[in-house]
Amino acid sequence: MNKKWFKLLAVLLVLAAFVFVGCQQAGTAKKVKVKVKEWEVPFLNCLTGPIASIGEFLQWGAERAAKEINEAGGISGIPVKVTGVDTALDPQKGVVEMGKIVQTALVALGPVPEPVIMAAAPIAVENEMMTMTATTSLEYAEKFFPWSISWFPKTEERLPPLVKAWAELNPDVKSVVQFVGNYGPWPGMVAAHKVGLESSGVKALNDVEVPQDAVTFGPLVVKALNQKPDGIIIACWPEKAAKLVQELKSRGWKDMKKVLLFSSADDAALYTTGGAALNGTIIYNFVNVDASNPRWDAFKVAYAADHNGMQPPSLSTNYYDAVYMIKAAMEATGVTGDPKKLKEERKKIAEYMANMKGFQGLLFNWDMSGGVPTNKPTYLFEIQDGRKSMVKEIRP
Amino acid sequence: MPLPWYYFLAITAINVLMSWALYLPYRVAHLHFLTVANMAISGYLSGWLVQVVHVPFGPALLIGFLTGGLVGWLVSLFIADAPTFTVVIVGFTFIYITRTVIENTKAVGSTMGMFGLPLVASSPGAHRWTLLAILYAVVLVVGFLIHRFEHSRLGRAASAVFVDKDLATSFGVDIRQLGRLLQVFSSTVAGGCGVLYGFIYRSFHLDFFTFHLVGLFMTIIFVGGYATMWGTLVAAPVLYGLTLLFPPAVASWRIVIYAAILIAVLVFKPEGFITRRLAYTVERLLSSKRKI
Repeated sequence: MNKKWFKLLAVLLVLAAFVFVGCQQAGTAKKVKVKVKEWEVPFLNCLTGPIASIGEFLQWGAERAAKEINEAGGISGIPVKVTGVDTALDPQKGVVEMGKIVQTALVALGPVPEPVIMAAAPIAVENEMMTMTATTSLEYAEKFFPWSISWFPKTEERLPPLVKAWAELNPDVKSVVQFVGNYGPWPGMVAAHKVGLESSGVKALNDVEVPQDAVTFGPLVVKALNQKPDGIIIACWPEKAAKLVQELKSRGWKDMKKVLLFSSADDAALYTTGGAALNGTIIYNFVNVDASNPRWDAFKVAYAADHNGMQPPSLSTNYYDAVYMIKAAMEATGVTGDPKKLKEERKKIAEYMANMKGFQGLLFNWDMSGGVPTNKPTYLFEIQDGRKSMVKEIRP
Repeated sequence: MPLPWYYFLAITAINVLMSWALYLPYRVAHLHFLTVANMAISGYLSGWLVQVVHVPFGPALLIGFLTGGLVGWLVSLFIADAPTFTVVIVGFTFIYITRTVIENTKAVGSTMGMFGLPLVASSPGAHRWTLLAILYAVVLVVGFLIHRFEHSRLGRAASAVFVDKDLATSFGVDIRQLGRLLQVFSSTVAGGCGVLYGFIYRSFHLDFFTFHLVGLFMTIIFVGGYATMWGTLVAAPVLYGLTLLFPPAVASWRIVIYAAILIAVLVFKPEGFITRRLAYTVERLLSSKRKI
C-alpha cells in the first residue's frame, strides 16, 4: 500500500514538474501593470520620395505584425500601434522627426535608408533608445550599438559561402566580372564576393563600375565582356541590374545561370524592368518565398492580395519580424510604459534584443549575440517569369 | 532646448546661408551650384581633420571656410564672367567629380560615409548650443555683409550686370572681378556650411550633398524672392517648417504642394514674395521711424 502511494506521489511530482516547466516556457511574459492604453511604435520610414515603393512594403509588414499581435491580445494585453513617420529620404526631415520620437518612445523602427540612418540614428544613441535599423548591413548598424541591432551577419562571413555555392552550381566558371554600384555597403559586398570566388578557385577579373546616373549599359557590358568572363555578378541598383542583364542577352550571353544578382537588386523594379530577360538568372537573398508555414503562407496570401498578386520582396518581412521582436522583448522584460521609467525600460529592451535566443521569425528561428544574428540561413534562387524558386539553402 | 527645435533652427540656418550662397552669384546671373560641391569638399575635409588628425573643431571649421574659398577662387579663374549656362554646367560637373573622388577615398569612408564625429563641446547639450551660436553668428555676419554689398556701388553694379552685361561693361563695371568676388564669397560660405552641416548630424554621407539640395535652395530663393536677401530669410524657415507640420495624409503630397507654390509664384509673383520694392519700403519705414 505504502509503495502504491509512493509511486502515485512520484508520478504526481513528475507531472507537477512538467506542468511547472511548461508554464514557464509558454508564459515567459512577466505579469506587469502596464501604464499605457496603447503601445505606440514610431517607424521612421520613407513613405514618399524616391524609394516610396520600398517604404510601402516595409510599412505594410510592420502594420501586419501589429494587426496580428492585437488580434492575439496585444503586447502584455495592451494593443500596439505602428505609426509611420515619413522622412521622404531627407536627412533634414529625419533628424527633426527622430528628435520628436526620442522624447517619448520606448523603442522605434527605422530609420530607412542609410543617409537618414546616419543623420538620425545618432540622436537615438544619444538618448539611449533602441532604434531598429532592420534594412541596413551590419557595417552601418554596428556604429549605433547597443542602441541598434543588426539584421544581418557580417558581410565577409555571410557572402563568401553564397558565392561559393553559386560557383559550385557552375563548375565550368573559371573567371568572373562583377558590376558594381558605388553605394553604401555595396563595394564591401563585392569584396566579400571575391573572397567566395577565390575560395572556389575562380578568378575575379576587373570590376566594372555602374554609375548611379547610368542610362546606357552597352559600353559597360562591352567593357565586361572584353575580359572574356565565364560568369557575371551584378551588385547595383535593381533597375540597372535588369538593364545589364538585358544588355548581356542582347550581346549573346546565353547561360543565364552564370549570372548572379545580389540581394539588394531583389526589388520590384528588377522584375518589372527585366521581364523575361531574367529567366534562368540566379539571385541570392534571405527570404525564401517557397518555404511554407502557416504564418508565412498567410503573409504571402495577404501580401499578394494587397499588391496585385506579387510575391513579398526581400525586405518585406524585416519589419514584420522587428515588431514581433519588440513584443518579445517588452513582454520578457516586463516594461510598463511608465514615462518615469523610460530610460530604464529602454535599456532593458535594448539589452534583451541584443542577445535574444530562439526568436521565432516569420521564416525561421534565430539567435542574437551582441546585437548580431548568428544563425540566419540564406538562399540561392533561380528566376523564372518574375518568380523565384529556391536552388539551394546555405546555413552558417 | 527640445531636440526638434534645435534641429529645426540649426538646419534652417544652414538653408538660409546656403540659399544666400546661391543668391549672391545670382545677382550677376550666375547659378553657382558649385556651392553644393564646396559643402561636401570642406565638410569631408574638416571631418577627416577632426576625426583622424585630431585637429580641434575651431581650426577645422576655419580650414573648411578657407578651402571653400580656395576652390571657389580656382574655379572662378575660368568662369568668373562665363554665361549662366556654363556656370550651371561647371557646378553640376563639380558635384559629380566631388562624389566620385569621395566614393573612392577610403580615408573619408568612401561610399560608407563618416560616422561618429566628435562633439564640439563637453556635452551633447553644449555641443548643440555651440553649433547654434556659431551658425547664427555666421548668419548675422554673412547677412550684414550681403546687406552692405546690396547698398554699395558693387551691389548696383551687380544689378546692372543682371539686366545687361554689355551695358554694365560700358558703365565701367569689371564683370570678371565682380563675378569672381561673388563666386569666391559664396564658395567660402558654402565650405563653412558643409562643415557645420556634418557636425549637426555628427556624420557625413554622400547623399547629404545631392541635387535635392540644389532644388531646395532654388525653391527657397525663387519663392522668397530672388531680388533681395530678405526673401531667403523668410522662405527658408517657412518651407522647411511646412514639411514638418504637414499631417501624414498631406505629407505624401509635399512635392506637389512645393511644385504648386513654385509655379504659382513664378506665374503670379515672378520676383517672389519679398520683392525689392517691398524690401526698400520696409527699410524706408524703419529708417523714418528711427528718425522720429
